[in-house]
Amino acid sequence: MLPDVFGALANPSRRTILDSLREGPLTAGDLTGRLDLSRSTASEHLAVLREAGLIREERQGRNRIYHLEADGLREASNWLKHYEQYWNQRLDALAELLDEENTP
Amino acid sequence: MTENAIRLERTFPHPKEAVWGALTTPELLARWWAAGDIAPVVGHRFTMDMGGWGQQQCEVLTVEPGSAITFTFAEGVLDTTITWQLEATEGGTILHFEHAGFRLDTPMGKQALEGMGNGWPGLLARIDQVLVGVS
Repeated sequence: MLPDVFGALANPSRRTILDSLREGPLTAGDLTGRLDLSRSTASEHLAVLREAGLIREERQGRNRIYHLEADGLREASNWLKHYEQYWNQRLDALAELLDEENTP
Repeated sequence: MTENAIRLERTFPHPKEAVWGALTTPELLARWWAAGDIAPVVGHRFTMDMGGWGQQQCEVLTVEPGSAITFTFAEGVLDTTITWQLEATEGGTILHFEHAGFRLDTPMGKQALEGMGNGWPGLLARIDQVLVGVS
């Protein structure tokens, strides 16, 4: 099963989790507090993000600490950047075509 | 934050009808994007010729005549949706472009993930460079 990075990113709460982890690692408790979610909902989101390779879980005694895994995000965004560049070139070509076809 | 869509906006100093024509007339579409038998009719199934990646199956999902069209792009390969929406503005037209629904568990996504290339954009960009060198 391949990691579904975009599926993981589709949910606003999961994006908030990732944004929070940008500043540094946090415990499950910290995250639940910030998100205003129930413990079980928060842990479901964390599981999805972990499976997608976007976060990593570290156990310290009784605490679970979550870290951002930036590589997964980078891969997905590089893929899309390629398409974005492609479309920008195509839209340049569209602009030229419109100028050619519609000279006053 | 990364999401699974590309959104671009362009303003052209041309009326909406002219831009709509360039988007939905096969002869004109072929000159800026690729050859394909597009038609602004809901349910119309057509293919776009993506060069080395072959004919990609598409289907028109929604149409607002003269203003907006949404179609599926590359069924079974990339499984995405493209939307072109036009907005008249002073002295021209704004194109709101969206290519949405990218998923890494599609054949094209897997290739990207496994480092086997980024799909047809890279390939077509190279073809463009070759053609520029020839002409």
